[in-house]
Amino acid sequence: MLLESTGIMGFISEKFLDFLTFTGFANLEWTNLVMIFVGAFFIWLAIKKDFEPLLLIPIGLGIILGNIPFKSVGLEIGLYEDNSVLNFFYQGVKLGWYPPLIFLGIGAMTDFSALIANPKLMLVGAAAQFGIFGAYMIALLMGFEPNQAAGIAIIGGADGPTAIFLSSKLSPNLMGAIAVCAYSYMALVPVIQPFIMRALTTRKEKRIQMKAARPVSQTERILFPIVGLLITTFLVPSGLPLLGMLFFGNLLKESTKTARLAKTAGAALNDIVVMLLGLTVGCSTQASEFLTINTVKIFALGAFAFIIATASGVLFVKFFNLFLPEGKKINPLIGNAGVSAVPMAARISQQEGLKADRHNYLLMHAMGPNVAGVIGSAVAAGVLLGFLS
Amino acid sequence: MYMKKLIVSALVLASSAVAMAQGARDFKLNEVYVAPNQTCDSTEACKGAAQYLDEYGEASSWIEIENTSYTTHDLRNCYLTTDKSVLDEALSAPERIAKMSIILGSDKRTVLAGQQRITFFADGKVNRGMLHLNGNVSLKPGQDNWIALYDGNGIDLLDSITVPANAQGSSYARFVDEKGAVVWKVVGADKITPNTPNKIGGHNSKVSEWKQSDPYGIAMSIIAMAIVFVSLILLYLFFHVFGWIINRMTLLERVKAIRILQDKAEKMVVMAKDGVDTKGIEMENYAAAIGLALHEYMGGLHDIESGIITIQHHPSDWENKDYMLRQAPERH
Repeated sequence: MLLESTGIMGFISEKFLDFLTFTGFANLEWTNLVMIFVGAFFIWLAIKKDFEPLLLIPIGLGIILGNIPFKSVGLEIGLYEDNSVLNFFYQGVKLGWYPPLIFLGIGAMTDFSALIANPKLMLVGAAAQFGIFGAYMIALLMGFEPNQAAGIAIIGGADGPTAIFLSSKLSPNLMGAIAVCAYSYMALVPVIQPFIMRALTTRKEKRIQMKAARPVSQTERILFPIVGLLITTFLVPSGLPLLGMLFFGNLLKESTKTARLAKTAGAALNDIVVMLLGLTVGCSTQASEFLTINTVKIFALGAFAFIIATASGVLFVKFFNLFLPEGKKINPLIGNAGVSAVPMAARISQQEGLKADRHNYLLMHAMGPNVAGVIGSAVAAGVLLGFLS
Repeated sequence: MYMKKLIVSALVLASSAVAMAQGARDFKLNEVYVAPNQTCDSTEACKGAAQYLDEYGEASSWIEIENTSYTTHDLRNCYLTTDKSVLDEALSAPERIAKMSIILGSDKRTVLAGQQRITFFADGKVNRGMLHLNGNVSLKPGQDNWIALYDGNGIDLLDSITVPANAQGSSYARFVDEKGAVVWKVVGADKITPNTPNKIGGHNSKVSEWKQSDPYGIAMSIIAMAIVFVSLILLYLFFHVFGWIINRMTLLERVKAIRILQDKAEKMVVMAKDGVDTKGIEMENYAAAIGLALHEYMGGLHDIESGIITIQHHPSDWENKDYMLRQAPERH
């Protein structure tokens, strides 16, 4: 009686129905389901196939998180809604300050001694950047604007932070697709690269054994980040945020006087930024923004970029060998490592080398072009930014 | 220690002073409008005046200032003047400031982000707010008008321009041509742009320029790859030469170490010979010297190690490729 007289039942049912309109089920679209499936697939790849789990797990969960449907009534919960927590985290991607922090961590973790001991391997790292510009030309042919083409092409550098940094500046509307594409292909390096390496090398070339690298003095290790910073940033000041932080991190490590800072930069800080970056990049792939024909094109271009980069690295080593005396020749199987997916690409060189000759250990040699690729792709990004921003 | 702190503090202070000066130098006079000497109606000469009115809906002459940098700077306490006598170096700073109009920082409008502009009315009505300048800034129609922007000390001239007499009723605007040179031009009433960038003539954005001149990306690829290669070749050359020097130094150190050993051995021989000649007198001293030399030879002195570790190959399951790298072991 009381319920009927006060009309509270009607009120409850009205509010309950109102609540239902807020649920994910009421706002679900098939595109959300597709993206949630993609996110789950990334998590499966990371856990079951061990493909870059540090990246794919945050990105995978981010994709799911970003595609939970909700009614947009100013609750400040979505990634693209002002003042939401996710939007706050996303500023690091949008304004491009996560990538330099990751470069700081990479610098603090990277040992450049393989490169210092055999500096000619730097040229291999440079050659692999052809992937970026090959993809740039194809993207222009496909109808993208030069700034968009540059943002997409940088996927060929196989460097997620660089791709995010450049696309956030040049083509922010494509950044989500570019970032996911870059990280996906980085995870798929073991699938993409080996067949190109095998196809472009002879059995004899695969068995080339390289001399052990000479020991590198502490002075050289300390000088490398300082000289590297001066040379690269004087030439390409627009690469300053990435190159500056990369060499800063490396100086923290090599100076031996700031071991605590280097440890933090390479471990705790890097882990925090990777988590936030992965999660927010994943979140940015909301179905309405992500499931477009442009995304399909970007993934196709990304694949081209990786293939061209790998092939150009391997072919450049073969070309370089024409000028090197017997005994100093480079194994072309380390050419793929110039794409800078550290250290995955170098591991592929090692695996392929062992397949051809089980006594041929190429890992340390491949680390040279691998880290040179990091510098090369950051320089390439700086050049593109300088020309097109 | 105290001296060191003092030097560091002085350096920090000096660098911050330079930074402040650099910030003020980024302010430039950007556009000037001299109102015609008549009551404005619908005539052509009054079109420009009608485009920008003050808060009270009145048209007057105005001066636009731009922060030409890409950094936020505060224009507060800078000075504007049209009185050319401030150039007299004999004037003291207070005397000079008395001939200027201060830009008040009463609100945040004087804080200009990079490439942002602010416009001041030269109407002498300071009671109308901080955008209105006092009578020291007066733009007279039909004659040349000299305008100067001074830093907060009233001494450093940041920018100055003479607006020609024929600019009356039009705008006199600053723009950067294709070669990067600053050019001032009188522009018609239809192109007056207070608080917005001066648009004089067509200017292509970088992207459209690349799209037009390099539709296939060939030029970009050649230039960018050349820069990437040059960067890494320079690094290669430096470390190639430096590595060679380090190798030479290592070799020299090795030779030096061998020479030290040789010297010690020679001295030992001489001492041993002396010992024999003196028939064992001071035998303990000789024994101690020989013992010390042997100690240094065996452990105290190091030759340069190669750093190469050679491991003999012994086939075992440890090198089985199935167990290598990141392959997780399987439970059988």
